[in-house]
Amino acid sequence: MSRVGVFVCHCGENIARNVKVQEVVDFAHQVPGAAVTEHYPYMCSAPGQQMVIDAIREHGLDRVVIAACSPQLHEPTFRAAAAQAGLNPHLVEMANIREHCSWVHHDPIAASAKACQTVVAAVERVKRAKPLDPIEVPVTKRALVIGGGVAGIRTALDIANSGQPVVLVERQPSLGGNMSRLSETFPTLDCSQCILTPLMVQVSRHPLIELMTYSEVTEVSGYVGNFTVRIKKKARHVRVEDCTACGDCAVVCPSPVSNEFDMGLSTRKAIYIPFPQAVPSSYTLDADRCLNANLQSPTGFRVLACVKCDEACKPKAIDFDMQPEIVERQVGAIIVATGFDLQIGQQAKECGYGVYPDVMDGLEFERMLSASGPTEGEVRRPSDGATPKDVVFIQCVGSRNPKHGVPYCSRICCMYTAKHALLLRHKVPESRAFVFYMDIRAGGKGYEEFVHRAMEEERVMYIRGRVSQVYEEDGKLKVLGVDTLSGKQVEINADMVVLASAMEPTDHGKIAGTLRIAADEHGFLKEAHPKLRPVETLTAGIYLAGAAQAPKDIPDTVAQASAAAAKGMELLSHDALERDPTTAHVNQAACAGCFECLQVCPYGAIERQEVRDRQGNLLRMVAWSNPAMCEGCGLCAVTCRGGFIDIAGYSDDQVFAQLGALGPLPEVLGR
Amino acid sequence: MSDLATSAVRHAGAAAVPDGWQPQIVALVCNWCTYAGADMAGTTRLEYPATVRMVRFPCTGRMSPLMILRAFEQGADGVLVSGCHPGDCHYVQGNLVARRRFTIFRSLMDFLGIDLRRLHFAWVSAAEGHKWARVVKDVSAAVSAAGPLPRPLATDGWEGPVLPAAEGEGPREIPAADSVALRDHLRRTAVELLESGRVGVVIGHRRGSLPGRLVPVMAATAAECRELEWGEGAVNNLVTYAATALKGAEKAALVVKACELHALTGLIREGQIARERLLLVGLQCPGVRPEGGLAAKCLGCSGAPHPACDLLLTPEGVREGGSEAPAAANDDARDRQIAHLESLPADERWLYWQRQFARCLRCYACRAVCPLCYCSTCVADKHRPQWVPTTIDARGNGIWNVIRAMHLAGRCTGCDECARVCPADIRLDLINRKLALEVERQFGAAGLDPGEKAALVDFRMEDPEEFIL
Repeated sequence: MSRVGVFVCHCGENIARNVKVQEVVDFAHQVPGAAVTEHYPYMCSAPGQQMVIDAIREHGLDRVVIAACSPQLHEPTFRAAAAQAGLNPHLVEMANIREHCSWVHHDPIAASAKACQTVVAAVERVKRAKPLDPIEVPVTKRALVIGGGVAGIRTALDIANSGQPVVLVERQPSLGGNMSRLSETFPTLDCSQCILTPLMVQVSRHPLIELMTYSEVTEVSGYVGNFTVRIKKKARHVRVEDCTACGDCAVVCPSPVSNEFDMGLSTRKAIYIPFPQAVPSSYTLDADRCLNANLQSPTGFRVLACVKCDEACKPKAIDFDMQPEIVERQVGAIIVATGFDLQIGQQAKECGYGVYPDVMDGLEFERMLSASGPTEGEVRRPSDGATPKDVVFIQCVGSRNPKHGVPYCSRICCMYTAKHALLLRHKVPESRAFVFYMDIRAGGKGYEEFVHRAMEEERVMYIRGRVSQVYEEDGKLKVLGVDTLSGKQVEINADMVVLASAMEPTDHGKIAGTLRIAADEHGFLKEAHPKLRPVETLTAGIYLAGAAQAPKDIPDTVAQASAAAAKGMELLSHDALERDPTTAHVNQAACAGCFECLQVCPYGAIERQEVRDRQGNLLRMVAWSNPAMCEGCGLCAVTCRGGFIDIAGYSDDQVFAQLGALGPLPEVLGR
Repeated sequence: MSDLATSAVRHAGAAAVPDGWQPQIVALVCNWCTYAGADMAGTTRLEYPATVRMVRFPCTGRMSPLMILRAFEQGADGVLVSGCHPGDCHYVQGNLVARRRFTIFRSLMDFLGIDLRRLHFAWVSAAEGHKWARVVKDVSAAVSAAGPLPRPLATDGWEGPVLPAAEGEGPREIPAADSVALRDHLRRTAVELLESGRVGVVIGHRRGSLPGRLVPVMAATAAECRELEWGEGAVNNLVTYAATALKGAEKAALVVKACELHALTGLIREGQIARERLLLVGLQCPGVRPEGGLAAKCLGCSGAPHPACDLLLTPEGVREGGSEAPAAANDDARDRQIAHLESLPADERWLYWQRQFARCLRCYACRAVCPLCYCSTCVADKHRPQWVPTTIDARGNGIWNVIRAMHLAGRCTGCDECARVCPADIRLDLINRKLALEVERQFGAAGLDPGEKAALVDFRMEDPEEFIL
């Protein structure tokens, strides 16, 4: 028979005012197994805790019930006290007779009866509690960063600078992401490449960063501290260590391709370097667009029809036989920084995007502004190369539009539109810039001043209203809109139209499936808590940084990247992790192998295991719960029809006993 | 002592409510949301009735119907289940899976005539202290109106609501010559399958000891195959024997009626049988007559074999089947009976089911014959803890039949063997059919594709929840 100590707290007047403490103490004394029943004004105080510790030692208590406030407040306090006395901390139960009783029921008779029942139920429950020890999980001291944009770069550098190795995987041939496409960044008008490329070079030179570009993560298995990652290194067909980036190959390559770095505004060759400052500084052969793609001799051998690049290459860096390679890495923490794309939605098409060449989105205009872009920084109409005079910028194209786009605000467009208008005015002094807006969101540091600069110094005309139509007439783009502040309709004959389209997560957040983390309906990766845990996910060991989590600008991206790095470093600073032991346990002898538990587990913690006889023959498959991944929700336990799964700390025995104790009490109390 | 079994006490004259009686309500709450929400109600010093006793869980996903039943069994007048709002579950999807479970459990309670004023579900978040207080007030009022949990009255006898007759044409009659031809094709095919080594055993029917009755046989020799029979005596669901037969043979042929084939879906989905180890043989069924009259499940059926069978036998010969097409939809004659029960007031439904359950002997024949009951030990036999009391009274019988129905919800495919073998003639088929209809109505899942998740293991954000406070 257990020896349970029951300690009832007065909490000053908080409990004692409405609950007759002595009655609860006397009542608890009658419960079978109650060896010690005490009360004290403040159980959580040092003397209060000491009372518990002394009682455990003096009376050989093996279970403890504290009837006091909510366990959400002081469960750790009393568990620590028990541990100090040598009692397993999971053999302590709290009965909430304050928040759920004395504070909400002012009739002392009813409150005391409820308190008595709550305490008895807690005693019955704790008698079935079992000692539990934290689960120790070793930690592989290496981090994986998925995505080589500014977020991934910052995270990788921070972790590597703290002395932990990092694997950084980027699927484009070069680091840089969307930030490398930008001309200047708001509000400082820093040259984007100039501030980014030093960081890119630092990554490539860092002894602790293993950089894999032109690579993708294909599979992730394992759990916090012990992930196994498979990475596919695509065949670049150019040996990076030999390539000098001289460019002779691209000059002679006969295969032109639309240049995706320039958002399709220019062409590159099948063998190309995305931009001059690419890291690694190497050309890449786009195998799908090379003239040798899919050529086969009648006997099935791969044929090389064109080797012009190889002939021109002096270091002989080109290798047509290169194959993709799958590599495996063990990591302890994963940071996802997969970034964003601009979404051309229905609204953009209605504004003439894709119909008129002179209607473009924000990134396309950005490339046009860039000195290394398709027009070397000159603003020219794609249709005829003429310099535009009147340019209309339309904000919120697709954003803030639940019916025809996405409901959220893409956050950066007000600022980059102001920047675009300002830069246009710098480059083409005789131009006129018109911005159609719904609101101006300029909340960052220096942002409001920047927008005012565009409005007042550069005389950009801001029109509060929406655009209903864009169509071509007499070589001009007619933009029909409204100015809600004056109440008048507005018609502008524009030479060019730039749309601030919606930001969407890369690939609609497909990476979430590979990592088994949650994403919302737009594909933005879900953080553990939007306010208090913005860089963690609900999957232990996986963190988020950058626009993959939600639309944001560069300062917030970099801040979040460093925050995610800090979380990763915190994880990797341990040699072993302690996980909560309230996990699921499968009775494998009884398991019928239906695996419905596996189907409901939110964490993929259930695995299939083989049961073999002594000769090694496979008898059947049974379920097993990995205590390192299990979070103890209990879905598996209820789903299992036979009742072959139980949750430590919330076991069937404990719940059964607790429910049993809530029944017959009124009779005993004589009420 | 109060019991799970309430009775016709409401229309027989309610028991006198003791002076100053307050309902006892057990609340199963999740730690992250509702428990914290109740804490917040306390911190805000809101006042609400002292009727609720809290039981803390990590998640609504941990809350089993067995626990709700135990609360009632231990004398609670009402039960409240509360957790996080959908989308906010600390464990991502615990409440979403639980929501489907609660939906079906509640509709089962309603069908059995239990006063729904005693059973409530709510989503209360950690920020909703005020909502918690309001929910407790509303639930207390509802349970008070329902009164103390009534004591059981004697429920002997067979009187009670009478169900309308189940009606239907049934399958077309098979002319005698065709019957003989079918049987001969069956025997020949079975011999061929065995002798060619394509299968190691043929599961079918042979003549029994009583006239007109057929019994299952696992024919492992040509001689046994030549004794195979078919016809209206072929009542047994042979799928129940498939797993056992496959222990002794690599591949088995199974003579199967359309109503039985769907039981295979569940077994395949739950990893108990590999489809490729079975060779399904289908033939026109004349409808089975377990006790002289056509079985209720046959009334709306055409008797046509399921197109998914590997071999289809006709009086003319044998042809390959294996089509992906679904079987023709059948009207179920029992739907009228279910609709009738649903149209009655809850106390009359209660009386009907209490009379049914009172006859239960706990022989567990229903469990033994069900193809989908394959657990090595049943939860009803579990001792620590003993969720299902072994007492053969309203209490134990009620909990047994409820939990059995819940275990079959979304899985049972209506072979009706349980109702056929029940020595007490309990209408188990009605309960299972009702829950099958409910699963389809609420979640649109017919459960006939082994590749799809079973309905109660799956969830959608938009699952219905009008009953949740």
